[in-house]
Amino acid sequence: MNGIDAKFAELKKKGEKALIVYFTAGLPSPEKTVDIVKKAEKAGADIVELGIPFSDPIADGPVIQEASFRALELGINTDKVFGICAVLKNSVAIPYLLMTYYNPVYRYGLLKFAKKCAGTGVAGIIIPDLPWEESEEARESLKKYGIALIDFLTPFTPVKRAEKILKDAGGFVYLVTYAGVTGRQAAMPDKTLKALKKFRKMTDVPVSAGFGISTPEQVKKIRSSVDGVIVGSFLVKKIIDGKIEELWETIKNLKKELE
Amino acid sequence: MGKKLPDKQGKYGEFGGIFAPETLMPPLDELEKKYGVISRQKSFKKEFSYLLSEYAGRPTSLYLAENLSRAAGCRVYLKREDLAFTGAHKINNTLGQVLLAARMGKKRIIAETGAGQHGVAAATASALFKMKCCVYMGEVDCERQKLNVYRMKLLGSEVIPVKSGSKTLKDAINEAMRDWIANFEDTHYVIGSVVGPHPYPEIVRDFQSVIGRETKRQVLQKEKRLPDYLIACVGGGSNSIGLFYPFYKDSKVRFIGVEAGGEGVNTDKHSATLIKGKKGVLHGTFSYVLQDKYGQIMPTHSVSAGLDYPGVGPEHSFYKETGRAEYVSADDRDALQSFHLLSEIEGIIPALESAHAVGWLIKNKKRFKKTDVVIVCLSGRGDKDVAEVASIENAL
Ligand SMILES: Cc1ncc(COP(=O)(O)O)c(C=O)c1O
Repeated sequence: MNGIDAKFAELKKKGEKALIVYFTAGLPSPEKTVDIVKKAEKAGADIVELGIPFSDPIADGPVIQEASFRALELGINTDKVFGICAVLKNSVAIPYLLMTYYNPVYRYGLLKFAKKCAGTGVAGIIIPDLPWEESEEARESLKKYGIALIDFLTPFTPVKRAEKILKDAGGFVYLVTYAGVTGRQAAMPDKTLKALKKFRKMTDVPVSAGFGISTPEQVKKIRSSVDGVIVGSFLVKKIIDGKIEELWETIKNLKKELE
Repeated sequence: MGKKLPDKQGKYGEFGGIFAPETLMPPLDELEKKYGVISRQKSFKKEFSYLLSEYAGRPTSLYLAENLSRAAGCRVYLKREDLAFTGAHKINNTLGQVLLAARMGKKRIIAETGAGQHGVAAATASALFKMKCCVYMGEVDCERQKLNVYRMKLLGSEVIPVKSGSKTLKDAINEAMRDWIANFEDTHYVIGSVVGPHPYPEIVRDFQSVIGRETKRQVLQKEKRLPDYLIACVGGGSNSIGLFYPFYKDSKVRFIGVEAGGEGVNTDKHSATLIKGKKGVLHGTFSYVLQDKYGQIMPTHSVSAGLDYPGVGPEHSFYKETGRAEYVSADDRDALQSFHLLSEIEGIIPALESAHAVGWLIKNKKRFKKTDVVIVCLSGRGDKDVAEVASIENAL
């Protein structure tokens, strides 16, 4: 069983929802990233996403853009991120995923990338600019190595389209809470909650909501509509600002709302 | 060669397609469907062609440049897009797209710009249609194209300097896409070249094809035969595709696309995507891309802001792969030299972008026979570049 599936099954049994946290890999350093993931696990994170920085992150807002540019300036590349993952394999129990754009994955070689994921314990990959229509080759390559390709839905995705996507979905489904890039404070409007309800009825794959989630109040509001929440920019901002020590309390408080 | 380009998936062979965030899939689908319907409407065609002729001054002339012909040793015609309203071919596309957006019920226009020509053309069309317009422009480009920044503001547009990444065209496209992801319900993104996710490369090509259709009619009238060569500069690739596409099936007509060689294609300071790039995805389309071995997009350089781009339209990648077109480069120096040459011998100050096409021709004149009919797309006029060229030359 893929580590993501096992995690969601375990949480379901306990009546909990997943807290999924995002960090840009290699920021402020590869060693620190390992340390951050370990401590995030201790603080209550259920799943970790590590971003491989990309030069042109069109789905990201200013915070993750800046984190990506900084990481690239520090010389972080795909191989170094796999290096981080190789260390995590023996030091954390929670599943971790990679998030990046399609070009770095394509350029690395789809099969080679998938194989590297398997070898370094990566459970899944999230590629925000790879829509379902173009995903077959990547999906097949990843499947060979038991790696999940995480699909996206948004409140604007028509039901017919969602049906196609959900037929192939694995790991979890990433529901984008609003129309926009990462890092804006999200109001969780009815449209989002309705979409969550609708899509969850259509699939057995867990649905996690992300984009613009940062506060326990937001989490409280959507808890019953999701299987998990994803928190990214808010945490990355703390790393950029050198306030890493604030992360653990933040994670603890968010997880509290999901227990 | 009979197959329709692009196919139903928006592919040109293996190139093109849609590589966009899920949020953009419904608006891209809407755009494809509505474009299919609206662009075929008689009233749309009528209004578009009225605007092109009465407002934008088309057809632009196909001018037999006799002095340049002597210098190049062949019969050189210039397709005078510099005479189109606002000073470049970009107006063909923006009038088409803003008209389309108005008919789709959109209220707001966004655009990216490099040289500022597309931004000015988008601002112009938006003013005409009373649409709010917001143009993203890299900070570096704002500096080297100050005149165009002021023009856009005069036309009532907001110009947003982009400070991220390389602060040039590619980053301006990133920002425009981010805006569109958040505002697609009332906003149309007028992309400025044959790049981006499907259906953009097709829409922009269709609107720019007026260049090639006119050229064909004009050259047949003047020479009683098809030309031997079509030469155009390639940034994203819209003036070149616009010229080439209507000749696609005329297999004896040879296409030459001139990329920006910057300080030389064997340095790391150029924008020669088709010559030096590798296949990949940038800005929603699968095409050639200048990138490093990890798939990070590389910084580019060209003296002309409009060619300073690490991607290229997928249809060009297809033309390259199938051998339909040949892609070459002219470097900064070639462009600057022909900027002067054309000014001095023809009295035409060309845009630095277009000067690459002329520069390549002059440098490679040995390839051409005296009787060869060669058409060069003079994609824009050079007023916007005069201050920049002067400052480069003062610094030498
Ligand atoms: C005058 C002129 N020519 C050419 C270009 C390059 O674009 P494209 O390759 O899409 O024609 C530009 C872009 O700004 C331009 O302003």
